Amino acid sequence: MDLPIYEIRSLKHSYAGKTVLEVEHLIVQPAAIIGLIGPNGSGKSTLLRLLGLIERPSQGNILYNGQFVEPFSDEARFHITLLPQEPFLMKRSVFKNVSYGLKLRGNSGDTADRVNEALSLVGLSSEDFAQRPWYALSGGEAQRVALAARLALTPKVLLLDEPTASVDAASAQLIKEATLRARRELGTTLIVASHDWQWLYEICDEILHLFKGKIFGRGRETIIFGPWQKLKTGKWGKILSDKQQLQVSFPPNQEAAAVIDILSVSHDRPTTSGEDIVLSGTVSRLSLERKTGRLFATILVGDFPFNVGIASEQVKEHTIFPGKTIFIRYRLDQIKWI
Amino acid sequence: MDFILEGFFEAYNLLVSGNAETYSAILATVKVSSYSIGCSLLLGIPLGFFLGYFNFSGKKPLRTIVDTLMALPTVFIGLIVYAFLTHRGPLGNFSLLFTLPGIAIGQTILALPIVIGLSATAVESMDKKLRIAILSMGANRRQLFLTSLWESRHGILAGAIAAYGRVMTEVGISMMVGGNIKWHTRTITTAIALETNKGQFGMGVALGLVLLTIAFCVNLSVSVLRRR
Repeated sequence: MDLPIYEIRSLKHSYAGKTVLEVEHLIVQPAAIIGLIGPNGSGKSTLLRLLGLIERPSQGNILYNGQFVEPFSDEARFHITLLPQEPFLMKRSVFKNVSYGLKLRGNSGDTADRVNEALSLVGLSSEDFAQRPWYALSGGEAQRVALAARLALTPKVLLLDEPTASVDAASAQLIKEATLRARRELGTTLIVASHDWQWLYEICDEILHLFKGKIFGRGRETIIFGPWQKLKTGKWGKILSDKQQLQVSFPPNQEAAAVIDILSVSHDRPTTSGEDIVLSGTVSRLSLERKTGRLFATILVGDFPFNVGIASEQVKEHTIFPGKTIFIRYRLDQIKWI
Repeated sequence: MDFILEGFFEAYNLLVSGNAETYSAILATVKVSSYSIGCSLLLGIPLGFFLGYFNFSGKKPLRTIVDTLMALPTVFIGLIVYAFLTHRGPLGNFSLLFTLPGIAIGQTILALPIVIGLSATAVESMDKKLRIAILSMGANRRQLFLTSLWESRHGILAGAIAAYGRVMTEVGISMMVGGNIKWHTRTITTAIALETNKGQFGMGVALGLVLLTIAFCVNLSVSVLRRR
């Protein structure tokens, strides 16, 4: 087996004495695509900054290719690059921004070719953009230039922090394509934090769910975050936008997150017993998990997306397709709380 | 009012005819201000960067001290430098009193807090995302420092201009430390003061116009640099 590209051991990171990230052990294999999912403040960006050697962990170690690394480590700084959530371009032309990292590496021979290639990867013509100053770009263009600056480095690890969060649909698509192309053509390891769950589910080998600085799941669990309220029925839950009641077992605290395991989906409303809860929702998407080849349906219940693994026979049997209304069933006594 | 107008005509004549006394004062000013601004930029930019970029205990009091020193009165600096350079003072052996290097020392003391303070402000107001962007591209410590410095160049340039303006226009240090010696340590500002006292407005106006021209040229070159 290959040496892991990353290994995290007993990592703890704090700001002003407050622990914001705690990872006991994590291994990332070379050329893997790892997705990070979690609400704001869950520690995704912190984890990316630590993996990107921008910050030094307060405790614990990060190993890159089996070697301990930290900011400015010569073993890793030319191999790892991070695209932050908000693009930041230096006060220079697009060409100079994209070639900056190459210059740091002492590259001089094919700089212009590599810059042009990287710009074309993100859908920007070097003729139109190379000499533009940093202030003459839209938000989406700036984000694509920032990505081009990373792709030009042909990195071994590309860390992406919400790469499509603040760009239009067309730019988002170009960014997604360019990152996947880097993975395909260069074998780049991708670690992506995004709220675009569907995209992550489609492309990732593994999904890490983060909440309050801890990794608590590695799959397609449906996680519903608090706050929770006491419903008129005396049970705890939420009133959804379509007026359905999403009931849960007694939460440990109002802000806790519930991991809900969907037991079945059906065309008709199923019969229920004591702890069963049935909700109706609309299939918003069917996707294929790249690694396992399993089909997943995303079912919107109110505004909440529930992810359900579905056998292909079920898809046929229940004629599941996007837009169709179906029923999901879960049990209160099987809800896990974080 | 006529004497002011006459002053302008005389100024024109002095400058065009290449009046030796006028040009001696101009040369002394350019020399001494170049020495002092060179030294203060060399020392002040790294110190300002350190003060603005890093967090350390005692940073705030140090910043307050630097900000206070930005308003140092020139006569006070002149007094202190005089006391140090006079033959009874600790640096008396160097015979720097009534010399251009002596004035340059005083003017460096004047300009240094301005360069440090305004460089620190420029660095402090740098976008925090810049550091992440530079590090994420694989920079080492030296590259991080140089790129951050380059990115804050506009603010630092503004500081340098402010310092240069202060150095060029000060009278106290030049008068007290330089002694206003004709052909030797007489600068534009001390010459203006002297000539005005003598009622020679022409030379005063001529030198004033030269000061304005130098300030204009400095600002012009800086604005060209800013566009890069």
